[in-house]
Amino acid sequence: MEDKKLSEQESLALITKMIHTAKNSFVDTGIGPILWGLVISICAIIQAAQIHYDFRLPIDIWWLALGAILPQIYISIQENRERKVRSWTDQIISYVWMTFGFGIFIINFITSTYAQKIGPVLQEYIQLTGKDPNLFFWSYGSSFLMFLYGVPTIITAAAHKFRLMLAGGILCWVCSIVGVYTPVKIDFLMMALCAICAWLIPGIIIRKKYLSQRISSNV
Amino acid sequence: MFKDLDPILHSQLRLAVISLLIGVKEAEFTFIREKTNATAGNLSVQINKLKEAGYIDVSKQFKDNYPQTLCKITPQGITAFEEYVKNLQSYLSAGR
Repeated sequence: MEDKKLSEQESLALITKMIHTAKNSFVDTGIGPILWGLVISICAIIQAAQIHYDFRLPIDIWWLALGAILPQIYISIQENRERKVRSWTDQIISYVWMTFGFGIFIINFITSTYAQKIGPVLQEYIQLTGKDPNLFFWSYGSSFLMFLYGVPTIITAAAHKFRLMLAGGILCWVCSIVGVYTPVKIDFLMMALCAICAWLIPGIIIRKKYLSQRISSNV
Repeated sequence: MFKDLDPILHSQLRLAVISLLIGVKEAEFTFIREKTNATAGNLSVQINKLKEAGYIDVSKQFKDNYPQTLCKITPQGITAFEEYVKNLQSYLSAGR
């Protein structure tokens, strides 16, 4: 490109072309969604297996999700280094995922605190009436979590016009409603399905696209 | 009465740079060079002209021990670009 004067039509065509180029220049390596898709689905499946086969691991499997924050920080730093352009959309999406991360902790905190408070009340109810209301508070907690999984997924998918991820996000919301009526074991299996459909599969597709773009730009 | 098109923006490379920067928060010099297919020397001169006009901010830093130049459109640059597009549209609609 040179420093030449343009006709009005040429100017308009150039503006359109460059805006389109900038819009399609976001870099996503896909490692983040693959990591979280794997971690959440593994944790949820193991949790469901613990309930179904009535065994307990020596540690709470969800510590694995907490541990995955460290590689995520490393991935984010690496992706930022690789990024030659920062769009407003990228920045807003990263804020959305950050608030999602805090949201998960807040929902877990609220649910755990409330479950601890309601537990003795339920015990007392069972002792007094002899009836078991069959209430397990985490059945509702998992619905909150699946709803929360859907929010950043749908925003990201809509911003990047990624239909498969959008379908995954909507599935999270559907499962969150269904989860209110299903036993907790099924809730965790649905949670694994949500993580696979909303993050793992879209992540693998993003990764493939990223690698093929990288190969073609190196040729 | 038609307003004159901003001479700073009415040049192929400078308009390409501003059009790239209008939709992003910031971009590296290497990214702009890649997308405009301009030579480093020419791009550097045009970026300086945009900077002198107050249309873009240029900051230099180090990334992995290599110098990195970041360009970002200023509010003045956004106004100038919007004005340029408005004038361009009036020229084009008058030509129809």
